[in-house]
Amino acid sequence: MKRAIVLALGTLGAMLMASTAVAQPTAVAATGTQQAVVSCKSTLKIALVTPLTGGAGFLGNAQLSWAKYAVKTLAPKYKLKVRLITGDTPVEQGPAPAQALAQKYVADKTVMAVIGPATSGAVAATSQTYFKAGLAHISPSATRTSLTQGAVKEATPAFFRVVGGDYIQGPSDAKFMVEKLKVTKVAIIDFQEPYSVGLADAAQSYLKAKGVSVTRESTSVKTTDFSSLVTKVPNDAQIVFFPTQQPEDAQTFGQQLLEQGKRAKVFGGDGSNSPDKFKLAGSYVSNFAPDISGFAYNKALIAGWKKANPKSGLESFGPPTYGAVQVALNAMSKACAKGKGTIKDRRDVVRSVKSIRVKNWILGGDFRFSTRTNDPLNARFYIFQIQSNGSYKLVG
Amino acid sequence: MDTFIQLTLNGLTLGSVYALIALGYSLVYGILKLLNFAHGDVFMVGSYVGYGALQALGGSANPKVPLWLLLVLITLAAMVACALLGVAIERFAYRPLRNAPRIAPLISALGVSFFLAYSVQLMFGAQQRDYDAFSLGEGTLFFSGFDIGNVRIPLLRIIIIVSAFVLMVALWLLVTKTRIGKAMRATSYDREAAAMMGINIDRVIVFAFVLGSALAGAAGVMFALRAPTAATIGFIAGLKGFTAAVIGGIGSIPGAMAGGLILGLAEAFTQGYISTRWSDLLVFVLLITFMLFRPQGLFGKPDIKKV
Repeated sequence: MKRAIVLALGTLGAMLMASTAVAQPTAVAATGTQQAVVSCKSTLKIALVTPLTGGAGFLGNAQLSWAKYAVKTLAPKYKLKVRLITGDTPVEQGPAPAQALAQKYVADKTVMAVIGPATSGAVAATSQTYFKAGLAHISPSATRTSLTQGAVKEATPAFFRVVGGDYIQGPSDAKFMVEKLKVTKVAIIDFQEPYSVGLADAAQSYLKAKGVSVTRESTSVKTTDFSSLVTKVPNDAQIVFFPTQQPEDAQTFGQQLLEQGKRAKVFGGDGSNSPDKFKLAGSYVSNFAPDISGFAYNKALIAGWKKANPKSGLESFGPPTYGAVQVALNAMSKACAKGKGTIKDRRDVVRSVKSIRVKNWILGGDFRFSTRTNDPLNARFYIFQIQSNGSYKLVG
Repeated sequence: MDTFIQLTLNGLTLGSVYALIALGYSLVYGILKLLNFAHGDVFMVGSYVGYGALQALGGSANPKVPLWLLLVLITLAAMVACALLGVAIERFAYRPLRNAPRIAPLISALGVSFFLAYSVQLMFGAQQRDYDAFSLGEGTLFFSGFDIGNVRIPLLRIIIIVSAFVLMVALWLLVTKTRIGKAMRATSYDREAAAMMGINIDRVIVFAFVLGSALAGAAGVMFALRAPTAATIGFIAGLKGFTAAVIGGIGSIPGAMAGGLILGLAEAFTQGYISTRWSDLLVFVLLITFMLFRPQGLFGKPDIKKV
């Protein structure tokens, strides 16, 4: 029996090692950046890099639906022929799939921009590769602060994001807890992955600075039964800050809090903002934008998207993707104009991105990048409380 | 004290599920000497079948049948579907390799595991599936029950622990008191001799897969009543079930039960008293420790070779 088990474990180990070996990027491919002149009359490609499968698959599929719609409706307006290609980066597999995809897109000279990577960890793991190839990568959802800010930036100047980072979300969530909810004790739970840890850290710093008592716990992204974590939540905690990328987890955690008689409310970040899945009355969630249907100029856009996606709801991760594609197409169009009908170097697209301005931005107001960083100017986060009928009410 | 009681409850709930999974490993290993690494994914399929049955019966918000009947029906649906799946796996993935070198069925088992996980993901998507048991009977499963000190013992946990125990006892009775059980024990002891005594080995092997897979199906429903399920949960659940089987003594039915409960309690106490970060690590430390110091597990018998 012992031999059989050792054999089994050995086989498992070998498979894990093999998968790791596949994941290592080669420096040669990353630096192979000789440019081919590409005609703007030919079909250009935009790659969407996001988790389409795995636990965060809901996020990627929402992004895909909006990316498809944006390419279909906006590319002709910019007089471009564009094909959207997709790359799957399941969060459970870490950065390896994103690294492999980056090699692929760098090698394909018709890929003019990357929408994504969707998650902060994948951005940090691939930004150097994209940068060396001069390929703009514009994320609609990677919010870790250190990607664009701080002494040691994890991303490169070729990386942009169209939503605010955790430097806004963490403090604004914490500020709401302190000023509106008057909290004195908060439990914070992170999921040991970049998005969650970054957001938890940002909120924790603010709360501690304001004298709030904070307890911190961590768990794995694969955890779905939180019973023992719930047991550790202090009975007198008013809020559990729970930055997950899977809204079902926030729902389960909230239910298990009730099951164990804890009075704390769940406060989720943008990752748990999904009215279909996180609907526990009294809980809070933050998001990049208020309900986009609240902006009159989005009416036709939403109607068109709903026609193309009749079974889908307006998930929070989708609309920023439309914006990211809009920025990418705009930049490609500018690069084409500069190259007189050709794109001689993909770096021309990167250079154009920073200057893009969009009126009637899908997430509200007008859009432009900050002059200091590659973050959107004046980005903010909004806070909702879940009502007894499951609807999200804007409260901050 | 309240924390201790709550963590014990958490551990027993979790451990009941692990024990049911471990039984499947033990049954198949006992008879075929095969580590069926696809077993965790059979558990996952069970949770999906239960979800489908729940939706077919009106969903958790508007069930068409009384709550107790709903729970019985979705569990039975998962058990039957998983039993059939177990038969198919045995027939197509393991039987052709029965006389092949030992590594071949092991690799086949891993292949079946990935096949099941990715097939479910392709068919039903990547998003988690939530039974929303919270809505069943307006929260009856979560809010009714009894109290020990300040700790509420909810009805759902009682149902899970008692059902798992009943299934385990039923299996033990089946194996020790029935004719087919005797055939299983004989096959486990010496397959060739059992065949010479007129036991239909193929039938016994298929029956072991039916039993093990049906228990995994029930475990899948019990798990998913408390936490969302997804196509990817099978691998880790399977590894934990396997660890529980090793702790108890792989091939031993009481060992699998004890191993599951020990593992569940160890995980809950680690999460509660040390850190959640360490709980998965503990599982594999336990596995390695048992492999090094007591490879036959708590209830298993050491391999004795005639020299």
